[in-house]
Amino acid sequence: MNPLCTIEPGSEKGTTAGAAAVFSLLVFVPALFFASVIAGREISRYYALAWALFAGGTAFAIAYTGRVSAWRRLFFSLSALAFLFHFKSSLITGAPAPSCFADAPFCHIAMAPYFLNYLRQQYLALAGGGWALWGPLSLGAAWLFVTLALGRGWCSWACFYGGIDDGLSALPGRPLLKIDGWALKVRDLPAALLIFLLLVSLAYALPVYCLWLCPFKLTGSFLDGQGWHRTAQYALLLAALAALVIAPLLTKKRFFCSFLCPFAAWQAFWGRLNPFRLTAAADCNGCRACVAACPMTAIKCGPGGKAEILAYCNLCGQCLDACPRAGLRYTVFGLELPAAGGALGALLSVKYFYVFSALTLATAFSSLWAPAALRDLVKLIGG
Amino acid sequence: MPALFSEGFLLGLSTGFYCLASCLPLLAPYLLAEGRSAWKFNFGIFLQFLAGRFAAYMLFALLASLAGQAGRYALPAWALPLGMAGCGLLMAAMAAARVRGEAAPCLLRQDLNPYFKRLPLALGFLTGINICPPFAAGFVRLLELADIMKGFSYFGGFFAATSLFISPVLLGTPWLGRRANEIGRLTLLLAGLWYLALGLKGLIILY
Repeated sequence: MNPLCTIEPGSEKGTTAGAAAVFSLLVFVPALFFASVIAGREISRYYALAWALFAGGTAFAIAYTGRVSAWRRLFFSLSALAFLFHFKSSLITGAPAPSCFADAPFCHIAMAPYFLNYLRQQYLALAGGGWALWGPLSLGAAWLFVTLALGRGWCSWACFYGGIDDGLSALPGRPLLKIDGWALKVRDLPAALLIFLLLVSLAYALPVYCLWLCPFKLTGSFLDGQGWHRTAQYALLLAALAALVIAPLLTKKRFFCSFLCPFAAWQAFWGRLNPFRLTAAADCNGCRACVAACPMTAIKCGPGGKAEILAYCNLCGQCLDACPRAGLRYTVFGLELPAAGGALGALLSVKYFYVFSALTLATAFSSLWAPAALRDLVKLIGG
Repeated sequence: MPALFSEGFLLGLSTGFYCLASCLPLLAPYLLAEGRSAWKFNFGIFLQFLAGRFAAYMLFALLASLAGQAGRYALPAWALPLGMAGCGLLMAAMAAARVRGEAAPCLLRQDLNPYFKRLPLALGFLTGINICPPFAAGFVRLLELADIMKGFSYFGGFFAATSLFISPVLLGTPWLGRRANEIGRLTLLLAGLWYLALGLKGLIILY
């Protein structure tokens, strides 16, 4: 680290307890509404209430301490663990139907590399009047809403793959393997993988990503038949699983999300529609603390030594906590809102608008599984 | 003869989407990797690719007609996997030479050798001999016709119609920049390895 950096990391200031409580309430109310609507259809609304309370608590902690990433990571990782627990335990027990997860339409990661096939399906639906095929269009509308509201923030708040990767990357104190030397050189690999998968999925009319790379499939039921194909598919599954689980522990980076996830590249491209940005201060002294801290390899040293935020940044806020000069800010298209006075004035900043948007949407999405996972846990403990 | 051209053209029109889907994984990464922010240059690549495909189609028209005359109604089983493996090897080799960076030996460097400027032609040719379902349908028709000139006419029509479906690949290329080229090279490498693996798998199964 540059010796000029004398201020302690994590110098972001929080709000007063009262303002934090107000912010927490602002998150809790819509979170409870969405969680009740989504999860409450099939299980007790108390589980939805518990999940909304957790979201509200996360909002309070973020506002009170001023630190976004640490509390975000706790929420994000627990949400992903809940998904893993609920989804996989449902598969093992063979009873996914009673849960609200049954309504989750399709994995969002498969959406991106399968997009051309969706377009073809829409064409067929238009041409043939097969209205049952219109499902992907509503999924597309949901994605557009998420992108407008959250953009690239999806990958640091809502994605159930990302939560695993992010949580594991936080566990080691320091990286056992340093990948800074080549990480930026292959940073475009997810974009290349996305284009390749888009084309090959269209050519073979198959969800190639799901068949060959998805690390979440612990069942081989939808792989190809026995033989060369199946062996290769299992090998790639294990490689992707290692990238998701082992590589973050070794490198302290979100390895799968940074170098293999096609949806991350998709969202990096379309995320430009979203107004929220991370912007480095004009007087950045190039100490590179943010470069080392970024789990997504999305910051590089730009011209003049100033931190340059790449399109792959998913606004997780880790660099905000790491910057010794508090020189990174959440902005709207690079602009900050005028400062407002009073105890609640601190909440009228881009940072809290962004956290509100991200946290409520992530809570709503995770209500598809998190309350049900809590119910599973209660049943497991209670016998 | 015009009737056969029309017949081939109609086959191409009705099945062109499959040709688009088959050719895109090969042509799009190449254009992304080697294209420039200029229509003219990219159109040149596209024309070379089409010329390669045309040569492959005409060769097949000739072979199919001769096979039909000789009473043989099947292609050698190794033709498709070998073409696919060759295609993948060419794509992966081109990409690997570029991905390593400017200092590495560069197969496509413009002042290297005029021969290497014709690589889109080779890629188009190898794409042309990768038999997709519509192509196979046309091929069977030629075996029945067993006439070289009629075969040229039929596959000429098929080529003209399917080329129309492939042409939209040019639409996005005027916005290509250095960054897109780098992503394109990585895509070319992935697609090359994919086709190489599929081709080798086909050959291993045969022998």
